[in-house]
Amino acid sequence: MTPTGTASNQGDTTDTEAEPHQLDEETFYGEVRSFSFWFEAVEGYLEGRPYGYDPAMPEEQLDQQHRERIVTTLCNYCVGEAAALEAASGMVRLAPNHNSRIFMATQVADEARHLEVFLHRIGQLGVQDPEAEVQRLAHPNIVAFKARLLELVDDGDWDASVFALNVLLETLEFTVFRYHARTADAITSQILDGVVSDERRHLGFGENTLGHHLVAHPDDRARLTEMKSQLDTLVLGAFEGAYDDLGLHRDQRPQLGRDYLEAVERLGLLG
Amino acid sequence: MQLVAGERCALAASSGLVNLAPDYPSKHFLATQTLDEARHVEIFTQRLFDLGVAKEDLESTIDRYANPNLVKFAEVLLEKVSDGDFIAGVVGQNIVLEGMAFTVFELLEATSRDLNPKFAQTLSGTIADERRHVGFGENRIGSLISEHPEKKPEIEKMQQEMSYYMLATFADVFSASGESIDEGRKLAAQQGADSLSTEWHGADLETATIEEIEGVLADTVLGEFKNRLGRIGIEYQSPSVPA
Repeated sequence: MTPTGTASNQGDTTDTEAEPHQLDEETFYGEVRSFSFWFEAVEGYLEGRPYGYDPAMPEEQLDQQHRERIVTTLCNYCVGEAAALEAASGMVRLAPNHNSRIFMATQVADEARHLEVFLHRIGQLGVQDPEAEVQRLAHPNIVAFKARLLELVDDGDWDASVFALNVLLETLEFTVFRYHARTADAITSQILDGVVSDERRHLGFGENTLGHHLVAHPDDRARLTEMKSQLDTLVLGAFEGAYDDLGLHRDQRPQLGRDYLEAVERLGLLG
Repeated sequence: MQLVAGERCALAASSGLVNLAPDYPSKHFLATQTLDEARHVEIFTQRLFDLGVAKEDLESTIDRYANPNLVKFAEVLLEKVSDGDFIAGVVGQNIVLEGMAFTVFELLEATSRDLNPKFAQTLSGTIADERRHVGFGENRIGSLISEHPEKKPEIEKMQQEMSYYMLATFADVFSASGESIDEGRKLAAQQGADSLSTEWHGADLETATIEEIEGVLADTVLGEFKNRLGRIGIEYQSPSVPA
């Protein structure tokens, strides 16, 4: 099987490529939760791209408004990626088995890389102190989502943490980044393509893990559905914030929100 | 088995330290270290599978055979991480644990080079990672220690405690290894003993007694601790000798 990330490294995912959530469980465990799979997946789109893009790629001329819009957007991506990094690192210790532990460790490295490339890009766009700018421009909804996610990790709740991180947050990022990659300047677009390839793996892990768990423990469905209801406001609010940053027209927004609804529907958690 | 237990501890500690790191460069480094430790866990676990441990028996086998003193060594470190103590956590992880692992792997690599080259190659890659981790510990923590000198006594106590459990682990493992080392030497003799003699930190691994090898290992690790801790402004504390 071709690793998902490798196949999608050009940002032109084909219909024939198998999505992780479509793999049968045995294949999924064998393929996706190993260091070698991760390495094979990422080397295709990281090699020669120290900050997520080809250094030979020329910088486009961006007007002031466009540049500020990208900075605001990337700052909020950084909040999401910092949340993902801190949650994933905490979840390594919560992982219930060897394969999940290894996968979460690879996710920690992915999230750290995402944060690094976004911060670097913000600096490239003329911001002197990217970390301070992230603090200044962060939307309340994504900050609140981060706080709730880290509470779940601190409580040692593996299933809820997987749901909040690998389904809800990853779906949000996957959806928004994928859209943004189509409209952004060439450098930002290439950075986003590499990140989206990672998010697809993370999302696949979340759906497989929870899908398997819910088959074995159907009583947990009600608890996770309730949690989804609680987090919906924050997730959808974060979507709105991202749409505003991207200057997305209102009639385009439901199209993007559908990915989120499809992900939770696959788990039977629409509520 | 002890390598898997040690690397699992390193994985838990390094991933826990990501959240505690006070700056993004440290978080990024510790994220790469988390990945390294996961890879070490994976390759040593695969080694267990290759040696016949069934996948479904992995956890129970580790629970059964992990040395109790090594488990206590890990608990001392993980308690610091759980308490949110970044400085103590990095000293425990990147200087004490990694310093021990680095030297133990060097010894294992030297003894496996001819008899088990596949395992020796695995260890070589791991040693290169551990060297980077120890380097981070010294570089990053030195400045933090100078900013927080009040942390020194607690860190020195942790080092002493971890060193004690490390020596106790060495004592347990070496006392149980006599027969297998004798067997290895017989095998080496059959394969051509003259070419297999290996010198390591002044000891001839082909002829040294078990007690001598254990002594050289302990002295080497403790000597490394003393040097590395001194470089970050921590005074090395001699551990009591396990009974």
